[in-house]
This record gives sequence, structure tokens and C-alpha cells, in this order.
Amino acid sequence: MQDAITALINTSDVQGRYLDNSGVEKLKAYFQSGELRARAAIAISANANTLVTQAVAKSLMYTDITAPGGNMYTCRRYAACIRDLDYFLRYATYAMLAGDPSILNERILNGLRETYNSLGVPIGATIRALQAMKDVTTGLVGTEAGQEMGIYFDYLCAGLS
Amino acid sequence: MSIVTQCIANADREARYLSVGELSTIRTFFEEGRHRLRIAAILTNNEQQIVHKGSQLFWQRCPVTPSNSDDPTFQASCLRDQAWYVRLVTYAIVVGDVEPIQTIGLYGAQAMYNSLGVPLKNLVDCMRCLKEVALEMLTLEDAAEVAPYFDCVIQGLTSR
Repeated sequence: MQDAITALINTSDVQGRYLDNSGVEKLKAYFQSGELRARAAIAISANANTLVTQAVAKSLMYTDITAPGGNMYTCRRYAACIRDLDYFLRYATYAMLAGDPSILNERILNGLRETYNSLGVPIGATIRALQAMKDVTTGLVGTEAGQEMGIYFDYLCAGLS
Repeated sequence: MSIVTQCIANADREARYLSVGELSTIRTFFEEGRHRLRIAAILTNNEQQIVHKGSQLFWQRCPVTPSNSDDPTFQASCLRDQAWYVRLVTYAIVVGDVEPIQTIGLYGAQAMYNSLGVPLKNLVDCMRCLKEVALEMLTLEDAAEVAPYFDCVIQGLTSR
């Protein structure tokens, strides 16, 4: 697990270099956006359940996937779906705070596509739900923080597809 | 590991979001970030001078040592390692944690220097000199921020 700072240190160290100017500028920007990141994290953690509910309502609820024969049919599968979306939101929030997506690989993406395929979970629907979650999250935290969160939702989508 | 990653790791272990307290700690860390980058830049820009003055002071205090024995290889290695430790100190300042110093520069360092025949006691003296000349270049307040990281290097190389 790493953040924007440790990521830069690790790449500099391998080359035996000091942090270069472009790296330092990136870190300055990261530190400056700290207030924004912390505020967004507070808003998301207070509204996590609502965000998941809204994202599901927007993307999955009224499609065939919740009808008999769909992959979200039966409450057990529905619950598993919202639990996963809950995870995605929490880990995207961690990554947004850290300013680095490595935690998404470590805790979510490694082996996820294979798991979903073996369980018959449709990747396309998962990506639709993630995109919907991006939209409702942006609606909650505002455009600027929403863009930052969007990076990590998109990262999850890219890792799944 | 920065305080940000530490808080995330703690929260993740309990599968929860970060608490308001943790987030306010992180916020302070972000606010002080610019300040830490500034101090690290001072050391970065003065690395050569720190190493130069540090080694002069070291050879003055500790004249009988391999790097002062007219062997250019030993001397170059000594200067190189000093520069390495200064670099690790700048990393630690930026991240606000001793972890880079420990994982990159201290685990196994004593065993390595022993096997190379570098007298650890002298190396520790050398690091003390490095610390002294580095702190001289800083204001009192900045020096207080930097000193613990040099102390970490000194502690880590001191044989017990």
C-alpha cells in the first residue's frame, strides 16, 4: 500500500535520486488539495449507504438483472451486490485520500474479474453501477472532488474490463 | 509509511471509513506538507556542501579510519554513503516518518558494514558530523524538524 508521497519516494530511490522538481510540484499540489480530499472523505463516509442505494437505483434496479433469472435476483445476490459496491466506494475513498490507486489493485482488483466470471457476475453491469456511483458521488461532493473520485472509479472500471 | 497510509491501513483493518479524528490529523499533515518540502529542498540543494563539510569534520575528529587512509576507493565510498543518508533523510522529512530511512538504509546496514570492514563506531561519528553541519545550515525551527531523522540514522547504526 502506498500514497502519492511514498510512490514518489520509491521511484526516486530506485534511481538513487533526490525528489525532482516535477515530483515536488506534484506533492505540493497533493498537499494543497488535502482540505478538499478530507472534506470529500467526510461527506462520503457520512452518506455511504445513500450513495450505494442511489447508484443501484440509477443503474441496476429497474433492469433485467433484478428480475427472476438475473444475477441480482434473490435477496442474497442483491445483498452481495450492494456489499461489493460498498467496498468499491470505501476503497475508492481510501485511494482518493492517498492520491494513489495502488490500494485498489491490492485489495480489490487482484483476481476480481476471475472471481466475478466464475460466479457469473456480469462485468458490464458492474461497470455501469460504478459509473452511476461516480455520478451520484460527484453530486454529493461537488465537481472538483468528484473528478478526483472519478479517477479511482474509472481505475476500477478499467481494471475490471 | 505516511500518516495518510497509516490511517487508511487502520481503517481498512476494521472495514470502516476514516474517523473525523483521523481525517483532522491527515488535514494537519497536508497543511504542513509545504513546510516539509521546503526543508527537504534546503538539504537537497546543499547536499554536496553538507557531505564536504561533514567529511572534513569527521576526518578531523577521527583521523584513523579507512576513508582517510589515502585509499581513493574507500574515500569515495564514504562520501557516497554520506550522500545516501542525506538523501534518505530528505525522503523521511517529506513523508514525515522514519520508514524510508529504516527500510532503505538501516535494515541490515550493520551486518553489511561489518562484512565490509567498515568500523561502525567511526561511521556513527561520521553521521554525527553530518548531522551537525546539516543543522548549522537551518534555522532553529527547521533544525528541530530535521534532527530526529539524523538521530534515527545514528541510533540505527550504533552497535549495541
